[in-house]
Amino acid sequence: MLRKLLTRLATNQLAGVFVAFLIIFAISASLSPYFLSSYNMSVVARSLAFVGLVTIGQSMLLILGELDLSLGVIGGLCGVIAGILMVNYGINPAVAMSMALAMGATLGFVNGALVTSLGLHSLVLTIGTAGIYGGVTLVLTKGVAITNIPAEIQFLGRGSLFGVPLPFVIMIAVLAIATFITFKTRFGRYMYAVGNNTAAAKMLGIKVNRVRVAIFTLAGLLSALAGILMVARLGTAQPSIGDTWVLPPIAAAVIGGVATTGGIGTPLGAIFGAAIIATIENIIVLFGVSPYWQGLVSGTIVVLAISFDSISRRYIRREDQ
Amino acid sequence: MAFVEVRRIGRDFPGVTALNDVDLDLELGQVHILAGENGAGKSTLVKLLTGADKPSRGTIRIDGRDAAEHPDAFDLIAYVPQELNLFPHLSVAENLFIPYERSGFDSATVNHREVRRQAQDYLDRFAISARPTDLVRNISVSDQQLLQIARASTNKRMKVLILDEPTSSLTQAEVDRVFRVISNFRDGDHAIVFISHKMQECFAIGDDYTVLRNGRKVAAGHLADTDEEGLIRAMSGEELKLGENFRPVLPPGGPGETIMEVHGLSGHRFKDVSFDLKRGEILGFAGLVGAGRSEVMQTVFGFRKATAGSVSVLGKPWKLGDTSHSVENGVLYLSEERKHHGILPLLSLRENIGISILGETLSKFGISTARERSKVLEIIRAYDIKTSDMEKKIMFLSGGNQQKAIIGRAMATRPSVLIFDEPTRGIDVRTKAEIYKIMKQLAEDGVGIILISSEMEELRKCASRIITMYSGRVTGDFDTETTSNETLVGAIFGAEKKNVA
Repeated sequence: MLRKLLTRLATNQLAGVFVAFLIIFAISASLSPYFLSSYNMSVVARSLAFVGLVTIGQSMLLILGELDLSLGVIGGLCGVIAGILMVNYGINPAVAMSMALAMGATLGFVNGALVTSLGLHSLVLTIGTAGIYGGVTLVLTKGVAITNIPAEIQFLGRGSLFGVPLPFVIMIAVLAIATFITFKTRFGRYMYAVGNNTAAAKMLGIKVNRVRVAIFTLAGLLSALAGILMVARLGTAQPSIGDTWVLPPIAAAVIGGVATTGGIGTPLGAIFGAAIIATIENIIVLFGVSPYWQGLVSGTIVVLAISFDSISRRYIRREDQ
Repeated sequence: MAFVEVRRIGRDFPGVTALNDVDLDLELGQVHILAGENGAGKSTLVKLLTGADKPSRGTIRIDGRDAAEHPDAFDLIAYVPQELNLFPHLSVAENLFIPYERSGFDSATVNHREVRRQAQDYLDRFAISARPTDLVRNISVSDQQLLQIARASTNKRMKVLILDEPTSSLTQAEVDRVFRVISNFRDGDHAIVFISHKMQECFAIGDDYTVLRNGRKVAAGHLADTDEEGLIRAMSGEELKLGENFRPVLPPGGPGETIMEVHGLSGHRFKDVSFDLKRGEILGFAGLVGAGRSEVMQTVFGFRKATAGSVSVLGKPWKLGDTSHSVENGVLYLSEERKHHGILPLLSLRENIGISILGETLSKFGISTARERSKVLEIIRAYDIKTSDMEKKIMFLSGGNQQKAIIGRAMATRPSVLIFDEPTRGIDVRTKAEIYKIMKQLAEDGVGIILISSEMEELRKCASRIITMYSGRVTGDFDTETTSNETLVGAIFGAEKKNVA
């Protein structure tokens, strides 16, 4: 009975990672009385919102069999650009933010266009473009944060809707769209086809490169959105925004069932993966673990989570044959 | 007493019994044919024989010793898998002798000159034309196939050699090379297990046979006491007529209008190829591996670039170099490499088929899962795809069922031309017959069918007309019924004869 249930959970990856999240959530709640407090929950939700937006884009790239290491610096650069346009040029904040979003999409598009047209490996290419984009940020800011961000946009980062932090609401809305795309649309099905087997996708008449460029563009756009929301929350545009958005989204996606080799997983699962990481990081803080130890502890838990996933998958494969 | 004695062996996986109550005797100096349809339990049995998996019950005795107690007895058994399993970026010599411990080069540093010298001995013995220093990715497929066998034999203790479909991607001349190697081993007092779906090969090389069906041994004995039909009957459990031909019945007045016309097409590895395809016929393409047949078809389909020439379909000029245009306009190509060019392995059977009928399943609210399920179910029934569940990942289906799924997927788009490239490679006899029937039906329904095959028998059975290619050029165009085998074989070896039908 239990065995059957476990098999079912392990087979349905989404259910598996969801249950894992519930367990970790329940353990956290029982370990610390502060965990479930509305203040703490909103802290967790807010931090999950920013990294979550990047995770949605990165997980779709991973499903495609690609990877973009410049998503973090795209977030930083676009946040800074929004800040400069608003503060230094006095451009209307809505226009400035739209321009920064368009910039994010463009930078993602450039990555995708270079990967497809030159046949480059996205991992290596985006190490390079990450250097370029990050360099532009430093040239523009000389490493100094842009302050005096107009107060009228700060609600985007700090406000709430029915008590739920606004960035989190936005992230959930984006996630809903991404989930619809992956499960229900032609484009989503093509994304999985390309990630499964590029040659077979071509044989099916799918415009493989167009699908790839589109998702690079989307991922860039989402990173820019995360960067702009972060600027709104902080009230300053700091060049370091996005520095921590590179590797955690990849770990989150893998915990959530996305294979680094592509073809399998969902953005929804990746967000559960991100939620697991966010919960663990939060409970470490609540426990008062010394900051020097936090990286070690959360890293260990990530390794354990991925190992568990791999072991359970081996178990299903035996069942399936 | 036989060298290898398998008694009442069984292997259970949760929910299924893959193998039950099987006996097998392997004698030195004999070639043993292991036959059975896809999924009959051959691979499971081989895994148990090589020690890669442990039986749930029963015993394996190797050279008189119980292998369960003496696992080192498995060292006497070498296995050459069907799939190429070499290190593409290492040299031929390195591929032969890695792991060095096994092949006797176990000093701390490797003496490369000695490795190369000994490698040359093996290459000579197996008539492999590659040099020891060539990288494996640069040598021919048949050399790679032979290299795999040579590698197995560098195990000095080997007494039993298991070959899983060693000839499936080879031409007749290359098959003969493999057979010579097998005979040498047999005469050198080794036991050979030979697995193949090609009946003629089994009878040409085999001494004894064992047939598995649904995990059980259903027949065994000397091949001299049976015939092809007997073996097939044992494998499939039913009567199958082998002599049947599957050529489409042409409408009165001969084949219909021209569906496709290829004129002076040149490209990667072929030059100046012209042919036309008429409605109602199956057009066969014969040739050696590397003759350029797949390249021609992939170019017509748009997967490869053409350097010269033109194609027209139904009288209109055809756009080359764009697979999406080809698919949208009804020309489909089913690759010989199912794994690399066909299936989407991690997606379910439903998603694999559903991807080509999105036009019918998309609604305002996205893909309708219910509609997709019912459409896919129709295709599963129509093409008799055997699966417990359409949500099963396609990689877990047998090769034959994957192939039927790919054909069903292609047909769902109602193409006007369908190009089959080696559609029955690695597929058992019964499923082969089913695929032939499907092709025949399609041709009679007016779909233009092109069939590339390396098996002359298959082409004779199915194609109305056969075009032969040699070294990138068309060497002939023959009416199947009125042409002798010798003429066809001559043409695929380069004899230029235009017996235009």
